[in-house]
Amino acid sequence: MSETINFKIDGQSVSVPKGTTVMQAAYQMKIKIPHFCWHPGLSVAGVCRFCLVKVEGRPKLEIACNLQASEGMEILTDTPEVKEAHKWALEFHLVNHPLDCPICDQAGECGLQNYYMEVGKYQSQMERPKVLKPKALDVGGDLVLDTERCILCSRCVRFEKEVTKSEALGIFDRGDHAIIGTYPGKKIEHKYTTNLVDICPVGAFTSKDFRFKQRVWFLKDKQSVCPGCSTGCSIDLFAKEQTGTYYRIKPREGESNGYWMCDTGRGMYRHLNIETRQRFHYVSKNGQKIDIDQKESLNQLASKIKEVGPEHVSLLVSAQYTNEEYEAFFDFFVGKLGVKKVYQWREPTEKLNDFDGILLRGDRNSNTHGLMATLKKYGVGNQKIGNEFDIAVSSAAKVVIALVPEIPATFPSLQSNLQTLVSLNFVSFWTVNSEIEKIKGAKHVVPVKGFSEKKGSFTNHFGKLGHLTSPFVSVIEGINCVASTTRKLSEYF
Amino acid sequence: MNSSNNSSIFSEKLKTVIEKELTRYETKRSAILPICHAIQDECGWVQEKHIDALEKEYSLNRIQVKEVLTFYKAYKQSEPKKFEIEFCDNIVCCMMGAKDAMAKIEELIEKQGVNSEFGLKGVPCLGVCDQAPAMLVNKDRHHKITNENVEKVLSRYSSTI
Amino acid sequence: MGNTSDKIKIITKYEGMPNSRSLDTYLSKGGYEGLKKSFSMQPAQIIEEVKASGLRGRGGAGFPTGLKWSFVPQNIQGPKYLICNNDEGEPGTFKDRYIAELSPHMIVEGMIIAAKAIGACKGYIYTRYEFFEEIKWLEAAIQEAYKAGFLGKNILGSGFDFDLDHYTGAGAYICGEETGLISSLEGKKGQPKLKPPFPAVSGYLGRPTVVNNTETFAAVPWIMINGAAAHKAIGTEKSAGTKLFSISGAIKRPGVYELPLGYSFERFLNDDCGGMIEGRSLKACIPGGASAPILTPEELKGLTMDYEAIAAKGSMLGSGAVMIIDDRMSMVELMKVIADFYHHESCGQCTPCREGTGWLANIMGGIYHKEGQKGDVDKLWTVAKAMEGRTICALSDAAAMPTKAITKKFGDELRAFIERGAGA
Repeated sequence: MSETINFKIDGQSVSVPKGTTVMQAAYQMKIKIPHFCWHPGLSVAGVCRFCLVKVEGRPKLEIACNLQASEGMEILTDTPEVKEAHKWALEFHLVNHPLDCPICDQAGECGLQNYYMEVGKYQSQMERPKVLKPKALDVGGDLVLDTERCILCSRCVRFEKEVTKSEALGIFDRGDHAIIGTYPGKKIEHKYTTNLVDICPVGAFTSKDFRFKQRVWFLKDKQSVCPGCSTGCSIDLFAKEQTGTYYRIKPREGESNGYWMCDTGRGMYRHLNIETRQRFHYVSKNGQKIDIDQKESLNQLASKIKEVGPEHVSLLVSAQYTNEEYEAFFDFFVGKLGVKKVYQWREPTEKLNDFDGILLRGDRNSNTHGLMATLKKYGVGNQKIGNEFDIAVSSAAKVVIALVPEIPATFPSLQSNLQTLVSLNFVSFWTVNSEIEKIKGAKHVVPVKGFSEKKGSFTNHFGKLGHLTSPFVSVIEGINCVASTTRKLSEYF
Repeated sequence: MNSSNNSSIFSEKLKTVIEKELTRYETKRSAILPICHAIQDECGWVQEKHIDALEKEYSLNRIQVKEVLTFYKAYKQSEPKKFEIEFCDNIVCCMMGAKDAMAKIEELIEKQGVNSEFGLKGVPCLGVCDQAPAMLVNKDRHHKITNENVEKVLSRYSSTI
Repeated sequence: MGNTSDKIKIITKYEGMPNSRSLDTYLSKGGYEGLKKSFSMQPAQIIEEVKASGLRGRGGAGFPTGLKWSFVPQNIQGPKYLICNNDEGEPGTFKDRYIAELSPHMIVEGMIIAAKAIGACKGYIYTRYEFFEEIKWLEAAIQEAYKAGFLGKNILGSGFDFDLDHYTGAGAYICGEETGLISSLEGKKGQPKLKPPFPAVSGYLGRPTVVNNTETFAAVPWIMINGAAAHKAIGTEKSAGTKLFSISGAIKRPGVYELPLGYSFERFLNDDCGGMIEGRSLKACIPGGASAPILTPEELKGLTMDYEAIAAKGSMLGSGAVMIIDDRMSMVELMKVIADFYHHESCGQCTPCREGTGWLANIMGGIYHKEGQKGDVDKLWTVAKAMEGRTICALSDAAAMPTKAITKKFGDELRAFIERGAGA
């Protein structure tokens, strides 16, 4: 058991393990100490000199980020001296900043702006010409770099060194001509570039994907879990609620991901937008597609199942749905109806055990482990992770209920698999995305909710639960998740 | 790229120096400054091709090399002229007439039409304030330079053009 | 070099001797005797002796040398390092160059003794790039010392091993700051490191490291031979020993002078240095390098040359670089030179320094080019004030202190210039 240190920040008692800095303690306690260069996921640089605090009994102000808490220490963060220091620290940061907020994507979530509201001098002292530096540089990945906006906090440089170990960024020259950049002509090539946008406390790094698309204050963000692979990074999902348009994903501090997420995961909002969503139930009769309402749709499916009998029904299940959905689904089909044939539907080209050493895993399904656990519980299917698509197809069940993979981007063979399934006797496609629309002749299609629209949980690679707690309202009217759809279906039995 | 020895852009002499420096200190990284000095001494300045070769042939990280080359002012950022005059323009040299002497040098360079051979810039204190004003012409240090004697001092160089 | 015949010579002992740099000359007057003496002592005894001698760091900060050595953990595994800071870059300072020119072996000897005291296995002399000749002399001295058995394995049969090498800087004032120097020696940009941890615990490559100024090392052999008490007896109570002063500017005999600390400034200026150049009068004096606050003739009256007396006047002894400013020097030009210098030399790491030095230079550039504004002098002071005590190293303070002093003491001259400029 490590030694505990008791000290105070602004009179508030704090207990932390020995070795904790004042900044770390304040961060845990949600006490705000202004800072730019400190980041909980990176080493301490101590260069922005913003986090100055008063240590009772010591003459000079000290930076909280490099100040180890010691027993009985009393830290003050809002004395007049500290406030004055903070004002000046901010003022120095603004000396050479272009103040181009009206055209900057960071506006609304910019450290400089936010702190200016809190501690600013409201009267800039700097009246001389500023240092000019290169702007709008494409430095690779999702990144656009404006070196004039940069405040040289070195977070990005440390990220490159410490997290991706790529050392693709440096700070060249010195003094107020110091400039951040890649090696001339080289680009950042790893799959974690957008983290640089997140950790950049100003608008020096902006995202090509998000650039100029939306003012951040029009967006609502909700806590979610990235469905892009089995790591299950904690995320915040940003959407404009009125139109149901999703704009971006950012990592949220979490057990499985720390502070980061990969660029691949950043794209996991795209399939949620209306253009690529399955919106209507339909059936095909004599090659003709007929839109029907949910009641009719489920009624027809129930009749079909009753007609062939559960022994001629099989379930083809992808690993991209929640534990709660699997539970309801198997409870009905296996538990109540007694369906025996259950097959895993996985990407045939997947490299299950791949791992990039940071976050991204070869298992591109959000809930492989949840599915396996449910299969085990109901004693059906193969107990080993593996694609059984071909077996499912050749088993020639009269009715197949297919839980289609939610995210086409994680499932390269989706189109060809769907093509194969459409040619079978009768497959009911339960799907989030509208990939099935590209193929004629699907016998039965049921739209279901995407991960952003439902509550529930995924079990990640480590067996930990990631919770979907705050769903956005779906813009698709009357849509249900797999669990509710199953319950509604059960009403016809 | 073929990284065998005979395709290196570095001369045999330079390669010997580089390889010696790489093992001279506790870490290879410490050799970056001395290696850059050696390349500059032989080639005038450290160019992109040298940085490429240092990474390919000796695994020196190009970002680290570039950071060093741009941080330290001893390293030239472009091809130097035959004679680079670095004139101290700090406190004591200024007080003892550095600005006048520099103006005189500019005038002389102009008059003699040797702009392409002579470069002139002000540099921080050279650490010989008792001999102010002081200047370096390449690696030669000259003391007590005034607008009276500067022509004579420079003629030593201009006569070799 | 200077007229110091009536004063004790510790570091300039070999002044005037032919081939003073050679090992033979050095040995002829007791060279490496201090080393032999120290090898008969325990490391802790050496440290105690240096502590008792009152020797303080001669680079500028004046931190007690023995105390600095005592911070190095004694009984730990792995290498410890010793570095000689010969990156003399403080404007006005040229004393360390003089030691390298006169007695490079004295530096080497001092380092070996220090290495023995702290248990260092490897040392470096880090010299600024522009000292082309001096670097050759230092490297030659190291080679000679190896040949004579003063360096390498089992020095003088003592069982103690110590290797010494030379490292050349590349044009960065900041490398005179000890942790900036360490970064540079590691092959990085010369950016100072965050403290704590201090170099004595985690320095070069994260190992315990002591960095001392050239002159500090050079004073050590004499202390070993003559004892702490003899050293303590020179100078004042708190400023013991002699100090090399680099004096320059509008005086008759500029140069390096070794003086006992506590020496009279007026005597130094008028007797030793022969007074002002004919026709020029004393306008001000910067007593300890560019970062030391400027002193007026009034403040110089009765001043003695020691850490405490100069500090009492609101300035500092610093590196002992005395710059005598005469009446022909415009304070606008002086302030601009100082502001430009620190702007050029800020490493760019800490925001208040990076932006503050640029800001000061920017304002001064405006004044100098006759675009000065009415409140500029006050603004210089205000910005400088905000730069103080806020950064990793002292460069920001070094820019702020002279700015505050000049704007305070010569503000009227600056304001008058601005008004004339605006009227022109």
